[in-house]
This record gives sequence, C-alpha cells and structure tokens, in this order.
Amino acid sequence: MTDEQDLIQRLLAGEQGAYRQLVSTYQGAMRAVATAIVGIANAEEVVQESWLAVVRNLNGFAARSSLKTWLLTITANTAKSRLRKQRREVLLDDLTGPHGSIDDRRFASDGHWAGELPLWHSDSPEALLDEQALRDCLEHTLNSLSELQRSVLLLRERQGLELTDICNLLDISHSNVRVLLHRARLSVFATLEHFEVTGEC
Amino acid sequence: MLTCKELVGRSSDLLDGELKFKQRLAVAAHLAVCLRCRRFIRQLRLSQRVIRQLPEADVAELDALLKAMQAFRRDHH
Ligand SMILES: [Zn+2]
Repeated sequence: MTDEQDLIQRLLAGEQGAYRQLVSTYQGAMRAVATAIVGIANAEEVVQESWLAVVRNLNGFAARSSLKTWLLTITANTAKSRLRKQRREVLLDDLTGPHGSIDDRRFASDGHWAGELPLWHSDSPEALLDEQALRDCLEHTLNSLSELQRSVLLLRERQGLELTDICNLLDISHSNVRVLLHRARLSVFATLEHFEVTGEC
Repeated sequence: MLTCKELVGRSSDLLDGELKFKQRLAVAAHLAVCLRCRRFIRQLRLSQRVIRQLPEADVAELDALLKAMQAFRRDHH
C-alpha cells in the first residue's frame, strides 16, 4: 500500500491525525489555485468549501489520478463555480516586484550584459534563507506580484506541478503560463540580487 | 549567435525543459562562452530552490477546520 492509499484508508476510517496531515500537506497548493481563480480576498473561503467537498466525495476518490491532482481539481471547480459569469480576464499584467526585473536596462544595445552580474554569497538556499530579513523580503516580493503570477510561481516551484496541469487547473494557455512564470521568476531573481548587493530589502 | 538578452528571455523555458532541440543547442553554445549568462542561469536555478524552501504560512484556524470537516463527514455518511 502506498503512503497515499494508506492516508485515504485512515481518512475513511475517520482518523483525526489523517485529516490534520491531509490539510497541512495540501492547503498551500489549494490556496494557490483558489487565489489564481477568485483572488486573494475570496480564496480562503473557497478553500474551506473545497475541503468540505473533498470530505463529501472521499469515498468516490478512485486512485486514477494522484491525490494532489484530485484535490486541486476540486478546488479549481469550486473556485470556478464561484466565479459564475464574471470570469476575470487573464491579464498578463506587468506587475513586477519591488526590485524590478531583469529588463532592457540591464543590456547594452548589442544585447550583451551592460554591466557585471553580481555573484551571490552562497550557492545554498538554506544559507540564503538563514536571514530573516531576506525571508521577509521575499514574502514582500511575492505579495507584490499579481495574484495569478504568484499562484503560477508557487504551483510550479513549490508544488512542482507540470505546466500542463497548471494550464488545465487555471484555464490559461500554455504560452500565458510560460510568460507569467518567467516574469515572476525574474522578479524573485531581482529581489535576491538586490538583497545580496545591498544587504537590505 | 544568441545575445545575452535573448538568452535571458528563454531562461525559464530552459529551466522547464520547454526549448526545442535547436533552441537548446543555441543556448548551450552561448553558455559555453559566456560567463555572465552561466552565472545568471545558475543563480536563477538557485532562486527557484529558494522559493521551494521558503517556509509556507501555517493554516489559519486549523483546528476549527478539522472539526468542521469531521462533523461534515459524519453528517454525510
Ligand atoms: Zn551571455
């Protein structure tokens, strides 16, 4: 029996620890999906509603898909039904983080780097994240991105979803996902670089 | 030859394995001779791992949610 099947069995048996494990493991991914579709203001409510739908349908979970895919599909459907007709445009808005991006100004007219590219002080994420100030700074940057950009970034980097899964869950085209992801990554890069150079946010 | 600016434009596609064969070759050829772009890609991958490891916010009101879920399940089965 896989860990996932084991978890399902324990959920079906009503084991409290299993519920706790389920929510702690998947709430972040569900929040990212809900935020992308209904916006941050309504996301928490959609996630709660989704959890109840999960509980209601638990017996029907046939391990055809992974548990995560199943949970995120329920979340996306709950969020979309909330939207009804007022589907927001997918805006490829140009919101960048507080430290900008790696934009045209960084390049000379011949397309080469215009100046040095600062070397960061460590190759290890743990060492970089050791500083509370940087962790706060990154949170700040994530919060400055558009909801869609942030969600796509988190679903890809933190949750490890494939681009195709992100497209399907959020109903956005493959090329839009790529653009959103790229811009979000460059904003994060710019924040890390700024912090490495100046030592502050 | 690809410029540095073009390489940066394709960097996410490189990370995600979205480049076609020819594009991949062009990127590899550029990286072989360009120190700054190699550094850029290395640090872009590093920033990916940083986001992966950035601590997630805790679930707000976890206990209340768990209670609601279990009550809901009892009512529906
Ligand atoms: Zn270059």
